[in-house]
Amino acid sequence: MAKRKTAEKKTVSKKGNGKPKLTREDKKTLGSLKDLADGVVSVAGRSRAPHLEIPSRSLSNVRYNQSRKIIEMGSNRNRRELFNLSQAKSYMQTLLVGSGCKQLIESGKTTSIRGLYYMLKHTIDGTKEETFDDQGDCDPVIEDLEVTLDALREELHLYASNRGNLIGDLTLVDLVMDPAGAEPINCLTVGRNGFSIPSIVEPNSIKFLKCGAKFILHVEKDTVYNRFVEDRFFEKHKCLLTHGSGQPPRGVRRMLFRLHNELKLPVYCLLDNDPWGYYIYSVIKQGSINLAFESRRMAIPAAKYMGLRSKDFERCELNNSVTIKLSDSDKKRIGQISRYPWFEKKKMWQREFKHMLSNDFKLEVESLINRDLSYVTEEYVPQRLKDRDFLD
Amino acid sequence: MGHTIVMSRFCRCDRSFLVTKCRPAGTVKRVVRPPEKESSVLAKATKKVRRKKKRKAVSVSQSDAANGKPSNRRRKRATAQSMAAEQRSISVSEFFTKNRHLLGFDNPRKSLLTTVKEAVDNSLDACEEAGITPEIWVCIEPAGTKRFRVTIQDNGPGIVKKQIPLIFGKLLYGSKFHRLRMSRGQQGIGISAAGMYGQLTTGKPIKIVSKISKRKPAHYFEIQINTKTNNPEIHNGRGEGEDLPKDSTNFCERKGILWHSEIPAAEEEGTATPLISGTMVSIEMEAAYKRGKGSVDEYLEQTAIANPHVTIHYTDPDNGHSVYRRSTEQLPPEAREIKPHPYGVELGRLLSMLKDQKPPVSMSQFLTSSFSRVSPAVARRICEAADVSTRASTKKIGRGEADKLYHAIQETKISAPSTDCISPIGEELLLKGLSHVVPGEFFAAATRPPSVYRGNPFQIEVALAYGGSVATKKVTLEELEQLLSETDARTCKQFLVNTFDGLGNEGADKIIKAAGLGTRQSPSKLGTKERQALHESMRHVTVGDSSSMQVLRYANRVPLQFKMGDCAVTRTVMSTNWRSYGLSQSRSSLPTGPVTVMVHMASVWVPFTSESKEAIASYPEIEKELRLGLQAVGRKLGVFLRRRKNIKQEGERRSIFLRYLGEVASAVSQINGTDRQGLYDQLLRVAERKTKEADTKLDKRGKRISDEDELYGDNVLIIDAPPIPIPKETSNGDVQKELFDEGASKGTVSPQTASAKKKVVRKKRKVVKKKTAKKKKAKKKVARKK
Repeated sequence: MAKRKTAEKKTVSKKGNGKPKLTREDKKTLGSLKDLADGVVSVAGRSRAPHLEIPSRSLSNVRYNQSRKIIEMGSNRNRRELFNLSQAKSYMQTLLVGSGCKQLIESGKTTSIRGLYYMLKHTIDGTKEETFDDQGDCDPVIEDLEVTLDALREELHLYASNRGNLIGDLTLVDLVMDPAGAEPINCLTVGRNGFSIPSIVEPNSIKFLKCGAKFILHVEKDTVYNRFVEDRFFEKHKCLLTHGSGQPPRGVRRMLFRLHNELKLPVYCLLDNDPWGYYIYSVIKQGSINLAFESRRMAIPAAKYMGLRSKDFERCELNNSVTIKLSDSDKKRIGQISRYPWFEKKKMWQREFKHMLSNDFKLEVESLINRDLSYVTEEYVPQRLKDRDFLD
Repeated sequence: MGHTIVMSRFCRCDRSFLVTKCRPAGTVKRVVRPPEKESSVLAKATKKVRRKKKRKAVSVSQSDAANGKPSNRRRKRATAQSMAAEQRSISVSEFFTKNRHLLGFDNPRKSLLTTVKEAVDNSLDACEEAGITPEIWVCIEPAGTKRFRVTIQDNGPGIVKKQIPLIFGKLLYGSKFHRLRMSRGQQGIGISAAGMYGQLTTGKPIKIVSKISKRKPAHYFEIQINTKTNNPEIHNGRGEGEDLPKDSTNFCERKGILWHSEIPAAEEEGTATPLISGTMVSIEMEAAYKRGKGSVDEYLEQTAIANPHVTIHYTDPDNGHSVYRRSTEQLPPEAREIKPHPYGVELGRLLSMLKDQKPPVSMSQFLTSSFSRVSPAVARRICEAADVSTRASTKKIGRGEADKLYHAIQETKISAPSTDCISPIGEELLLKGLSHVVPGEFFAAATRPPSVYRGNPFQIEVALAYGGSVATKKVTLEELEQLLSETDARTCKQFLVNTFDGLGNEGADKIIKAAGLGTRQSPSKLGTKERQALHESMRHVTVGDSSSMQVLRYANRVPLQFKMGDCAVTRTVMSTNWRSYGLSQSRSSLPTGPVTVMVHMASVWVPFTSESKEAIASYPEIEKELRLGLQAVGRKLGVFLRRRKNIKQEGERRSIFLRYLGEVASAVSQINGTDRQGLYDQLLRVAERKTKEADTKLDKRGKRISDEDELYGDNVLIIDAPPIPIPKETSNGDVQKELFDEGASKGTVSPQTASAKKKVVRKKRKVVKKKTAKKKKAKKKVARKK
């Protein structure tokens, strides 16, 4: 196998027009892609039916690692067979995505997952059927390929859309724009939205130079983020401010992970007081079920939940009219979350869930504005920081 | 809410409070009324109440005074004596005059059908009993507005002069009621009731001609029923009737009757044979003639399916002739008369049978002679169980002993009644009949072994047809126009649903949509182009999948056309699970799909739900047999449908693999640079091996005849290429005739061409009619303008 790999690489470099330099990761990814294809050829040569072994990405195949306090992927695998009526198409799609990624890596370019979808979408010869009907068809296949090859999306030269910004006293270099590292960026001076966190923030593309902040405050949405920016919270409290437009994309999570681990900054989360806010916190802290294979490089077990809390309605003397009644799906979701193994044994959290159910309403961070426009930045967060009143 | 309630109360009492209307609710609640005003309001209210009370009191006293006298003057109530004077027996005919709906004379259209049905059934019974291959003439002629003259003639054995008036002029008079033998008629009501209906609506007598042998002349009667006494009155020949003269044409014309004195030849060039014997009945009655569902035409068509040995000559009111020719000369095996089976006898019946033994006989003799399947040994066992001596005289059996005897009978094992009293149609003829009339790809038939309900033997036969076109595709434009002109449906959709069997609402909607008509459009007001569009869409829209199963019900070879919902057959079809046989079916309803099921119940006594014989009553034994029969054909259909589906699916599977193989091969070759074509060929080989199962099944299909027959069992007919829907020129009836002709003649010129000629003539006439109608309309328009 090893021999073949080298042989193949040569052909690649010959083929490549501008001869882009292949990094070590690229070579590794190409190798595993080729193994995949070689497998098909050898199986077909023995006139057997080819199949793929894809690690299963479902709750049943997720394990909570008690000692590392992150979600890890189990060893369950699903077989995807070419000669199975219901799997034939997705088998074909998986290989198609593989070939697409190979082209990307070889040409040294990256594209969005939507770009890859358009790249691979065509009508199958002699039929009226499309290879992919819509992007929803393509995205899970990409994730399947990631887990099958044990390669990250970045390593496949793919990225998702940018969502999430960062502001604060941090100097970094974007090596994609500036390979020489000649023009460092200070995240305080990049406009009022701050630094837009790219989808890929690996050490080979983003390099931290200097940091004057003491902690990271992650908020849920850009509206709250703007409030904090306008009140110049990050200056007063010397912190980095981030948001992820709801459920943070991988880029933001990876960025938080790196900031936390490399610069030793604690992470505090200010999220809505609803099941979805809880789950955002859970994803930041333990990793997500769908991308459990990435927890190792994204989960921050030391992250803390600052608010909003269910008791904030009384604590902050909020008006009745800012509450939102819990819907049936909210209640159901609370039940699900409270049974997740990483929440199950935490008494504080179970109390929090019960409190919310007994309240029978949820609160958004914006509801604090009802008291005073700057209540959240001038009183609420400073008070929590002072009291070190967090949920873990 | 509080706001409005307060307001309304205030409004009525005091106008000044109207002002509060504009105030918000909260304030109104707190309004405190000034004390003096409140009191005044209260006072007013109480005054009003008092006044009202007074008024009421006055009115009560007045009414008392007014009513007092008449109550004294009231008519004396009836006493037992006065009531006794009015109590008298009711004649059967009086009863049925009032309750004619019980006999199937509820509306003019149905009355016409019932009349034809009763007469044809009687004719067929008589012919079969006498061993004559039946030849039947049915003629419906218009006789004034809303009146028709219905004439039915057969070549049966004829009726003795003396009996004619009683049979046609007395209700509940007949030969079939007192015996246990499979026949179409049962009670002896039908034809006399038809005569009575005619007499009731037109006042004309029922006319009968009957000839009993070669030598004797035909005899002619005009009969009316005296409904008071339920007795016939003969109106011609001074109460004796009269003989038909040798050359009867003149006489018949004078009397307004149709008497066929010879049987026309089946072939065009053959000679007609003179009629040896036969009976004709002619009734003039108020009726309505409409084609389509529940019509005379449908009845005759269905009768022809179940009675392949019958030839029917039919003349419709538009003077169109059609002939349903027999496909077999062989009469069904004669059904024997049987004695009642002991299991079916109730206690009361047993008692009366014991009483009727004159002179009294021994118990053993009584049991063996008046019941079927009771041998001396069985009789002894019954008597032992009942603790009665076998030699005891029937005279001495009291109520208590009879009761014991009754229970002993139920407990003793007695073999099922002999079944040679039933003559089923037979699977072969069922298949033949059904496949001739219903075009399809798959036919199956099953005959259940005879069974018993209440001691009456019966047998269930089921045949099923799958595929082919539905009724809507068979109709020609000309016929459609006729149907449109006859219908009384208010919308096109209603028209389609009512006229064509098995076409559900969905199907009708589809057709109407395809024709570009409005759903609420009236069918009688369609223009020529719209009619053509409707016809086109009826022919081309596939409604097969949405149409519901068509159920043809027969009882003793008589088609049942009404009260589908009440019938045990329909109910059993609905409660049977057809989903496991590959048809779609929503809960407890008829399954959908291009399926026709024909169910025949043959029995010495068919339990109808009413005297009009439209639905079979549900006995558990009958339902069980029906279900088993339906399941038998269902299984065969299931095998057929599954096989077809499998073949289709496996083909699909292969094509799916083939479709993706190319993509997979190119993706792989792109990744590792292998030869695309080589890999593709390899994968293709694997695919072929993988789908070999499909191939082997396909291969088996080549020698499927032996294989399939084994699987399907007997009595299955598979037509590989679905027959092309009926050619344009011929109408429904013609096709049928053509099919039934098959057995008779092929080389010679068939009578079909003759009838086709007649059709042409009919067409021309119609055109003329239309033209005149148009002229009239034009004239009217001119008149209006003036």
